[in-house]
Amino acid sequence: MDSNLASYILQYAGYLLEGGLVCYLAGSSQWKRHRATAFYVSCLLVAELSRVYALQKFGLRSAQYLSVYWTTDFLLVISLFILVCLFFRRACLHEEKMWRFVRLLLVFVGVLVVGISGLTFSHNYSHLFLRFVTEFNQNLYFTCLVLNTLLYLLLQQIESTDEQLGLLVCGVGIQFAGPAATLALLHLTDHEHFAQSLGPSFIRLCTVVMLLVWAYAITRIKEKAIQVSRSKNPILAEVTAD
Amino acid sequence: MKNLVLTFLLALLVVLTAISVRRLVVGTVTAAPAPGAIAIGTSPIPWPPPEPTPQKPNA
Repeated sequence: MDSNLASYILQYAGYLLEGGLVCYLAGSSQWKRHRATAFYVSCLLVAELSRVYALQKFGLRSAQYLSVYWTTDFLLVISLFILVCLFFRRACLHEEKMWRFVRLLLVFVGVLVVGISGLTFSHNYSHLFLRFVTEFNQNLYFTCLVLNTLLYLLLQQIESTDEQLGLLVCGVGIQFAGPAATLALLHLTDHEHFAQSLGPSFIRLCTVVMLLVWAYAITRIKEKAIQVSRSKNPILAEVTAD
Repeated sequence: MKNLVLTFLLALLVVLTAISVRRLVVGTVTAAPAPGAIAIGTSPIPWPPPEPTPQKPNA
């Protein structure tokens, strides 16, 4: 299949899924229960609509679309970080002591990413905003990847029975790991034509798969009472002990 | 205080791991958006025009 056609299909499938999920959450009065997911999907939808508008009005190679795209990406990465924080909150719902530790960790992580990304100011003063945004976006994206992996391990460690949260975290994992794997392939094959043509479509495919997993988790998995077996987690008990 | 320092060190470890993974995956890190940068969403990614490379002086 033509890679352009596949890209278009994935692009519009993404818009449809985002719109469908927002409508479903708003229509079925589940907005409050799934506020983390609803918040992120709404941000994604608003960002995509702004991008579509800029793309139609100014074109792909225009400076305006470039600014709109990377500014919305900046906001999306921040909302992704907030989403991961809210997932941590949900995982530690009945673990107040652990949540105090995780909350402090997340604050430090946020401050460190801003600080380390700020080092770009010392390199070059031209296109300062775009350079900072790119550096910050990439650093925070990979930090969220690591945090999401830690969250998944945490869910396994505390033997959480919240299946829905497990699927939502797996969905975010697909969104993070897929593009990272594509970039690794691109790097390993020394930017060969095959890998270059595969890259953008695969990144879109990961977003679409994440939205499909979320749609399944929200519509099909019923939320159970979260029960956490605390007696079987001596490692976390040691870490969070005063 | 000990917990605070430990939490900070753990946060530093998380961030440095993330940046190391990024450098490992992307290869070279460029400050401006370039093919090799990850973006969120399904819209087409715009790349800025490449900066002109300085020409070598003629011998």
